[in-house]
Amino acid sequence: MQEDENRAEKMKVTVKVFATLRRFMEKESQVTIESGTTAGELLLMLTKEHPGLNNELFDETGVLREYVNILKNGRNIHFLNKLETIIEENDLIAIFPPSGGG
Amino acid sequence: MDGYTNKIAWVDLGKGKISIQETDAEMKRQYIGGRGFGAHIISSQMDPLTDPLDPENIITFMTGPTTGTGIPLGSRYEVCTKSPLNGTLMSANSGGVFGWKMKKAGFDGVVISGKAKKPTYLYLENGNVEIRNAADYWGKTTHETTDALMADLDDPKARVLCIGPAGENLDLLACVINDRDRAAGRGGSGAVMGSKNLKAIVATGDQQIKVADPDRMDGVKERIRTKIQENGICDALHLYGTSVLVNIIHENGILPTRNFQSCDFPNPDDVSGERMRDTILKKEKGCYACIVKCSRVCEVEGETHEGPEYEGVWGFGPDLGIDDLPLITQANWLCNKLGLDNIGTAGSIACAMEMREKGYISEGPTFGDGTGLLELINQIGHREGFGAELSDGSFRFAVKYGHPELSMSVKMQDLPAYDPRGLQGHGLAYATSVRGGDHVYGYLISPEVLGSPEKLDPYESTGKALWVKVFQDLTAAIDASGLCLFTSFALNADDYADIMSATTGTEINATELLRVGERIWNVQKLFNLAVGYTKDDDTLPDRFLTEPLQNGAPKGRVWERQPMLDEYYAERGWDNEGVPTPKKIRELGLGEPGIMHAHT
Ligand code: SF4
Repeated sequence: MQEDENRAEKMKVTVKVFATLRRFMEKESQVTIESGTTAGELLLMLTKEHPGLNNELFDETGVLREYVNILKNGRNIHFLNKLETIIEENDLIAIFPPSGGG
Repeated sequence: MDGYTNKIAWVDLGKGKISIQETDAEMKRQYIGGRGFGAHIISSQMDPLTDPLDPENIITFMTGPTTGTGIPLGSRYEVCTKSPLNGTLMSANSGGVFGWKMKKAGFDGVVISGKAKKPTYLYLENGNVEIRNAADYWGKTTHETTDALMADLDDPKARVLCIGPAGENLDLLACVINDRDRAAGRGGSGAVMGSKNLKAIVATGDQQIKVADPDRMDGVKERIRTKIQENGICDALHLYGTSVLVNIIHENGILPTRNFQSCDFPNPDDVSGERMRDTILKKEKGCYACIVKCSRVCEVEGETHEGPEYEGVWGFGPDLGIDDLPLITQANWLCNKLGLDNIGTAGSIACAMEMREKGYISEGPTFGDGTGLLELINQIGHREGFGAELSDGSFRFAVKYGHPELSMSVKMQDLPAYDPRGLQGHGLAYATSVRGGDHVYGYLISPEVLGSPEKLDPYESTGKALWVKVFQDLTAAIDASGLCLFTSFALNADDYADIMSATTGTEINATELLRVGERIWNVQKLFNLAVGYTKDDDTLPDRFLTEPLQNGAPKGRVWERQPMLDEYYAERGWDNEGVPTPKKIRELGLGEPGIMHAHT
């Protein structure tokens, strides 16, 4: 029982990627994560599964690149808890490489 | 040499008089070029109460000192005039190669007044100007006009700027088109050309364009090039064009659909820059000296042209409830051919659709239905049938049928592709723009959505007033310089000051450059006040203040006009009514002899 209590619950979230990121993973996918997973941990997970993503999202020192934008249900995580933002069940996570227009 | 050709052609089409004058040294110092020159010349030479379609209205076409010097993205010219759409002292900016050709023809710019007796075009070549007969070109689309002039002149170095049927018919949505598909889109300047019987301007020649300090300029160019090349945003612009924004703006919950009734367009990916690249894109294209190449060349049903851009994709797509990218592309091309502002045209159609949906009109287009869209645009351009109702923009149409609240416009000009309820700063930029509803007089999307130069919370209004002011002033200075605004994703005010100093040989720092931008902004503002605009006009359609968004992250939000607006006036050194104080006017040198403002 003890073991069961410690085992984190699994949950599903949707991840959407755009622009150049679509070279490395499906534009929309369901991802299973453990409850309590942060945005940073989710990104790490994704870059492990899809190695090409790493260079698009992070610089050589492992810091998120300037102008990369991660949205949780349409809200930039920068204004939530940044990479520490907790991802919740059924969240829609949108990941944009640097991009813009006008 | 200092980046300028130091010649401006003054043309009175009524009298058939041409006078070529040296570009004024004080004007160069105070206003740099482009939008600055246009705003200064018009405000100092013309009564603000002039009817925009009267021969007395002045229209200027001005390059900046960097235009044509080979500095990356130094491709721009600016059209300035009193807008027939809303009476503001407007400018509209365009790239392509025409601006460069104007300099090769030996001119910093042209100032045009009067009305020609017959259809006319201006021919600029190596320091000379001729007023020529345009009878053969009148009635033709912009593409036909350009092709016919190029064939008749038999000069591959020549480039053409012209109006289409919309300008000839004095549509207040008419724009100026150069190089076939580049548009100086907003404000209705095409109708001013039409009212003067001015069909086109042709520029050709082989004059040298030199900067003051070529060695320093080489270094500056290299540094600028590296900064642009290393900038991720510029990279995405090249790959996906401006329509890369479709998904970004949608995911942020601010992509308006159905005349800004909501932001829940179901199929954004179908009209995205990504989809364009995968389907209709033939190649990327750049303006003169551009290393970004954000423009698209697309193919639909055997036709290949430049475009579309994000705003036009949104306008004829999500805002009309349409997800057919080839049709949206054709609609944009048709606007270019007719010489119509695509944002205004689409906005007017969206307004008609909502009027129809609400039962305020019994005929007209309906949301989501693309059948007949191209025919309707044709009618708008030719002022025929139901389309004629929309030829002067959504505001006049909505007023005519008793529902001005359904015109999604600011100062009578239709709004572009971002819902201000989820963008407090950008909303303030819309409300205070001195040319009316517009996104490129202060693109707060950059910090509020894209995170450049830093991330600002789009829902927060505190502190936005100063950001809006600085963005507006910097943009005015960039529009004066001859550089493409997209340089601002990679460059900062110090970079621009460096470029300007190397180009003109007059040392200028970032603070002084922003001061030039502020001066231009105030000149336009003073003109608009003299026309009759007041604080009440510095606002958005009621919808944005009273109807909260129903979906997405910004759900429940409205645009909060105050206290941002008063803070903005304070940041600008204006009084509570939004009028520049005597102190501010003096500080900007707007009361001094020689740069006297006509009505201060
Ligand atoms: S970035 Fe785009 S609009 Fe600007 S100069 Fe280059 S191609 Fe033209």
